[in-house]
Amino acid sequence: MEETIIPKTSTVLAALLRADFTTLWRNRRAVVMVFLVPIVILVSWKDLVAKMGAAFALSNSLTYGLIAIGLMGYTNSIARDRDKGIFQRLRVAPAPNWTIMMSRIFVQLSMIALVTTAIFVVGYDYDKITLTPAGYALTYLTAIVGGAVYLALGQVIVGLIKNPETVNSTSRLVYFTFVIVGMFGGMGMLGKQVEQITQWSPYGTVKTIMAAGMVPGSWTMDTTNALLVTLGYTIVFAVIGIKNFKWNTK
Amino acid sequence: MDNNQSESILKVTDLCVQYGTFKAVKEVSFDVRKGEIFGLLGPNGAGKTSTLSAIEGLIKYQSGTVIVDGHNAKEKPLYARAAMGVQLQSTSFQSELKVSEILQLFAGIYGVKLTNEKLTAILKDISLEDAAGKRFGQLSGGQQQRVSLVISTIHNPRLVLLDEPTTGLDPQSRRQLWERIEAIRERGHAVVLTTHSMEEAESVCDRIGIIDHGKVITIDTPQALIEKHKNDPEVIAVSRKGRVTLEDVFIALTGKEVRA
Ligand SMILES: Nc1ncnc2c1ncn2[C@@H]1O[C@H](COP(=O)(O)OP(=O)(O)OP(=O)(O)O)[C@@H](O)[C@H]1O
Ligand SMILES: [Mg+2]
Repeated sequence: MEETIIPKTSTVLAALLRADFTTLWRNRRAVVMVFLVPIVILVSWKDLVAKMGAAFALSNSLTYGLIAIGLMGYTNSIARDRDKGIFQRLRVAPAPNWTIMMSRIFVQLSMIALVTTAIFVVGYDYDKITLTPAGYALTYLTAIVGGAVYLALGQVIVGLIKNPETVNSTSRLVYFTFVIVGMFGGMGMLGKQVEQITQWSPYGTVKTIMAAGMVPGSWTMDTTNALLVTLGYTIVFAVIGIKNFKWNTK
Repeated sequence: MDNNQSESILKVTDLCVQYGTFKAVKEVSFDVRKGEIFGLLGPNGAGKTSTLSAIEGLIKYQSGTVIVDGHNAKEKPLYARAAMGVQLQSTSFQSELKVSEILQLFAGIYGVKLTNEKLTAILKDISLEDAAGKRFGQLSGGQQQRVSLVISTIHNPRLVLLDEPTTGLDPQSRRQLWERIEAIRERGHAVVLTTHSMEEAESVCDRIGIIDHGKVITIDTPQALIEKHKNDPEVIAVSRKGRVTLEDVFIALTGKEVRA
């Protein structure tokens, strides 16, 4: 009898990545939001840059970009494709489940790198913000680490909610909560206690590590703690999100 | 693998599928041999899709065994899946991708080298050579179904599972699909299909299994089934124009009432 051939994992991943990047490219109009919000914030905060520092402005706006990627870009594409049965079709092929997810996550990580680059360019263009080479390099890393929290949070949403419309509205709600609470709470406008909570929320810790990443000399013990908390959130969210995830909506 | 199994491409034994407390498939057993087209028939909700989903590895089954081309589907899921081609009852591809890109994607996943010539040949084969650059979402339902079918055989699998493949097709496409299915049989491979068309079951299936309420009622060739039941009073009662068809036997065996 004939041998059954199991395709190489690298071949499978390459095929999935190619398809997922093509899909992203065709949907490029839908991802404008991901870029727009942080850029608008960065541009409109021109005056704040002098007062609060470049790292503050960049890390803030970049955080909004990361939240948008994880909560809107990732969740909506997963919820929609799951509802259409696209995952089920892939799963009856000899593609291990993790390759299907890995490809999706990789696409979002590249989005993070793109948004980070866009923020750097706009920051330089409008606000004349420059970082040291080490600052740029470290920020790409912290952006990936920070972005992972929101991807994991997005995973919680698609893990707990099946209906794509509900996923969409929930992720929007969570997104705006983060934006509002982050913006006002983080500045102390909602009182000391909210400021403290915000600081150690996924919003605050991500912002902290990114701000320190931009000026590596300013990295302190507190930053390291923020990094550890960020990783902790990521693991907890990822476990909840993956454990509850169903591949179909039936 | 031992020799007496090599004739069997799919062997399902005492398969049980449960959703929560609801038993959708109850001790279903059948086997499909090389060069055979096996039809799985049953009213809505009988458990056909659930049976196929268990074979495909999409849902966990409570008990029973599934052997695909010698590979135990639970122990060697990737081998089992590589040996089968599947068309799901409800499935879709990324609507933003072009037809050619979807074919490339699945060729990659199944480890098949897809040259441009081969791609063109495949598209021509399903009369979609002009649609290569069209997005999947822009195709008609029947055209989408043809893409889905051709993907299910892109890696020349030994077992092809088709869940209601002809639902929604025009008569021309349906006939063409029958020929395609028969060509798979000629190659010595095996096909399992579900259908609600008794005409289809009668004209393409070598053997059929009738399943209802999750249980196999009977398995036989269409002719033998008619022969065996043509004098049953229930069958005669539902037959029309004095001629007993497979549909009459089906209705007599599964009851007249429409399923919830
Ligand atoms: N995910 C699920 N959760 C709960 N019940 C389910 C699920 N999938 C199917 N069922 C139930 O299991 C039974 C069998 O369903 P199945 O889809 O296997 O039927 P079928 O024979 O394919 O029907 P049809 O001809 O309508 O396609 C039905 O009663 C259905 O409601
Ligand atoms: Mg079905």
